[in-house]
Amino acid sequence: MSLSWLHIAIIFFFIQGMILFAVIPFILSYFLSPKVQAKELRMPYECGMVPYGSAWGRFGINYYFYALLFLAFDVDVLYLFPVATYYTESPGYVPFIKLLIFIVILFASVIYFWKKGVFSWPKKIKI
Amino acid sequence: MIEAIPTQLIIILVGLAATMAFVGLNAILLVYLERKVAGFIHRRPGPYEVGPHGILQPFADGLKLVGKQIFTPKGADSVLFWLAPMISMAPAIVCFLVIPFGPNVLIFNTNVGLVLILAFTGINVLALCIAGWTSQNKYALVGAARGVSQSVAYEIPLLLAVLPIIFMTGTFNLYDITLGQGAWPWQWFIVYQPVAFVIFFICALAETNRAPFDLPEAESELTAGFHTEYSGMGFALFFLSEYAYMVIAACVTAVLFLGGFQGPVVSGWWWFLAKVYILLLIMIWIRWTFPRVRFDQLLNICWKWLIPLAIINLLITLLVIAL
Repeated sequence: MSLSWLHIAIIFFFIQGMILFAVIPFILSYFLSPKVQAKELRMPYECGMVPYGSAWGRFGINYYFYALLFLAFDVDVLYLFPVATYYTESPGYVPFIKLLIFIVILFASVIYFWKKGVFSWPKKIKI
Repeated sequence: MIEAIPTQLIIILVGLAATMAFVGLNAILLVYLERKVAGFIHRRPGPYEVGPHGILQPFADGLKLVGKQIFTPKGADSVLFWLAPMISMAPAIVCFLVIPFGPNVLIFNTNVGLVLILAFTGINVLALCIAGWTSQNKYALVGAARGVSQSVAYEIPLLLAVLPIIFMTGTFNLYDITLGQGAWPWQWFIVYQPVAFVIFFICALAETNRAPFDLPEAESELTAGFHTEYSGMGFALFFLSEYAYMVIAACVTAVLFLGGFQGPVVSGWWWFLAKVYILLLIMIWIRWTFPRVRFDQLLNICWKWLIPLAIINLLITLLVIAL
């Protein structure tokens, strides 16, 4: 793969965005802001109490299902992207029927998860 | 290719400077606009003290935020903690590469324009996740988990709402999509794809974490959500990036559905900016009008309504094109 101007532009913009909007404000802040040190100043905020345990503990699985669903779904939707660019030039009904089958199977997964109770809160998932 | 004319480099550098100015100006303008509109809706004057009608308020805010001490919470991963706001901000700048502001006001006319924007706006989720996870704070962690599952869920109807336009035009080039629409409002894609427009706009609100979908930073339940532990500049960067993403969302909506820079009488960047600002005003208006939704409601709107609706819309579009 050869390096095109688009790649250079993306790298330029990315680095520039980092430097101008992120690094420079932090440097400014470093010079301008006070530097107070106190005993409990750096304690994580938890309504003023001393934090109970670490935040990096076990966490509800509720959100994990959505991540899994997304992974399956998003990859499938991405397959439609290359098809989309050629669809208007393709003749006849065959491409439509092919896409119909693809999308109906895609949709079936939503119905499947719906019936499994992934979308109902509080979670009652039957495996 | 690289051995071609170096005028490309000049265009890139000029575009870079222009983008920086545009993003900065927009942030200043939007901070002021949001507070003024909020004041108007709440029947109070809004910012009024600094400068005439509070015009200098954003600068005062900026100075205040720069002057705040930055500190990392105890036990946090300090490298990732400070990298997160930068990761949030930098991709927003890249997205402005491909947005056609006017017939000649365009940095890069490329085939992958829309894909590039979709890809780079996706990085914001990562920043949100890192920020919440590394700050060693339970509110931040819950905010990050919510933010990720929300952004991830609304990504799908967003893509499905974009697809009908791509199927109709057959290109990802934002400039060509703009030219595929006419100058007059009834020639814009919003007329052909009203359902897709509504879905896209709702998803854009959810992707930028705007009210009524601002659950990752729901003040009343999670203090400040994923950026609870950020002080001064860290908070300011998340704020800035939120406004940058709002502008990008409005720009993409304007290009896809509202004819981009094309407008009645004389087409040009003024039409584009007018459309973008009307959309931004609508976003601000929505923020101060609707109450925040509950989290299960938020996800159910997406999975039970928007995705089926978007899929049906896509199928109908496909059928109409095939006929």
